[in-house]
Amino acid sequence: MKSSTFINLKEKGMRFVFLFCAIFSILALATITVFLFISGTPFIAKTGFFEFVFVMKWAPLADEIAYGIFPMIVTTLYVTALSVIIGVGIGLLTAIALYKFCPKKLVNPIRQMINLLAGIPSVIFGLFGMTVIVPFVRDYISPNGVGYGIFSASLVLGIMILPTIVSVSLDSLNSVPSSYYEGALALGATKEQATFKILVPSAKSGILAGVVLAIGRAIGETMAVIMVIGGSPEMPNSLFQSVRTLTANIAMGAMELRGDALSALIATGVVLFVFTLLLNISFSLLKREKNDKIKKKESKK
Amino acid sequence: MKKLIALILLTVVLCSAFILTSCGGSFDEAKIISVVTREDGSGTKSAFMEIIGLKGKSDISGVIVASNTASVLQEVESNPLAIGYDSLGYVTSDVKILSVDGVMPTIATIKDGSYKISRPLNIVYQENRVASEVNAAFLAFLQSSDAQSIISENGYVSTRENTVPYTVIPSLSGEITISGSTSLKPLMEKLATKFEEIQSSVSVSVAGGGSGTGYNDAENGVTDFGMISEAFNSEKSPNCTYYEVAKDGIAIIVNNKNTYNNISSEDLKKIYDVDAGEKAITVWAQVTK
Repeated sequence: MKSSTFINLKEKGMRFVFLFCAIFSILALATITVFLFISGTPFIAKTGFFEFVFVMKWAPLADEIAYGIFPMIVTTLYVTALSVIIGVGIGLLTAIALYKFCPKKLVNPIRQMINLLAGIPSVIFGLFGMTVIVPFVRDYISPNGVGYGIFSASLVLGIMILPTIVSVSLDSLNSVPSSYYEGALALGATKEQATFKILVPSAKSGILAGVVLAIGRAIGETMAVIMVIGGSPEMPNSLFQSVRTLTANIAMGAMELRGDALSALIATGVVLFVFTLLLNISFSLLKREKNDKIKKKESKK
Repeated sequence: MKKLIALILLTVVLCSAFILTSCGGSFDEAKIISVVTREDGSGTKSAFMEIIGLKGKSDISGVIVASNTASVLQEVESNPLAIGYDSLGYVTSDVKILSVDGVMPTIATIKDGSYKISRPLNIVYQENRVASEVNAAFLAFLQSSDAQSIISENGYVSTRENTVPYTVIPSLSGEITISGSTSLKPLMEKLATKFEEIQSSVSVSVAGGGSGTGYNDAENGVTDFGMISEAFNSEKSPNCTYYEVAKDGIAIIVNNKNTYNNISSEDLKKIYDVDAGEKAITVWAQVTK
């Protein structure tokens, strides 16, 4: 009798522990969201949403104070777009090569190495960018002798998001039934035609999911970007120009600014948060669409 | 055979990475100056901008923002086209210090004021405050050789000569309050700690708040001494007098490959001025040799 109540208690206790663990991450998310919005939105309300988001000038300590983050938003979008183009271009082709065109012996070593790339801390990427990519771009590529900017940042970020794109694309390519590929070959398609016309379109939604994940990483990356972007809060007119992303803006000022300027940084965080939120929503929509398709196919059968 | 090719590829990649890191390009006068500045809120930045006459202006377009002293040095060290500024005490031989209007920043030139880009670190106080024994003792300590050695050890320029050691006053006790400039605060804290060590029953409290706070607190008698990191302006606190604790030099630094050795203060202003318009200097060739 005694032992059974003990077991009962233990079970209840454990259930509570599991429940707490499950809730903990939700609590963390809720706390962060509440913190961001409570300390960020009053500032946006005070400055005015349009004044904050669409003004061109960021000068929190100048005589004429201005808290406009529009140049940073544009830079963030540019850097993300370009890095995703670089990352997806190389990553997708890498995945295809690993899937069909690469000697079988090499597939695993290459995959392992690419996964290793994912484990490198972002500050190392930043260091590499700052000491190798920026001087190289400055001396050999840039037309005006400026190494910092969107180009260098996108290059560094493109390398950083490679592992995500390669592994997700490879997984979704692998999940395409081999009969598709074989069928295409049997109909007389070449290996290349079968891959690009049949396999890649079939794996489209999985690849897209990888792209969305990569965008998320590129938007949020701070340390690597801050070291190669230059840091001037201005509108980007060229790929080779010192500019600043939203994350860099927060990281550069967080330790130095006080008062209104610090609230402006938290408000920047709110904007960034909304961006990533939208991204995640589109990600889950993509996923749902994929699941719906599969269900439809199954119901047809 | 494949292994050989892989090996060769690997060596090429490693070698090119090595070459890329070691070579840094050359100095080309026709190219755009990479202007390096510090982030908003940096004390060095506000002092520098004020001295060259650009107080309260925002940064020029294309400026590279380094978020600390070390990264200014790193950038200038690796970028042949860069110009930056840094507290003199931090500058190493990896970069070249430019003379400004023909004057190199040294302890001697900063002391006699011929090197312009330096700022005095002052304390301001009302005369009647130093009538109290403990405040007078602290002022005497600041003038002593004990204080001067702390000042020089921390990279600041001591402007006093022929100083004598501080003579300990037995049974001196009391409280000293200091507030103001955050640029002077770190040095003042070190000096205060030393003074508390010598005069064990005296306590010194040092608070920040900025130079404005320093003026106001001293003028209104809120604290015994106010700290200001600019030349004393008697209009801001008419009842006060000042004492110069030390000077802080700001060096203008460029890459070692840079062929310039001197820059005029006018040119320097034109490089950093956002409102310079057509007069703005953007390439090295525009700088007068």
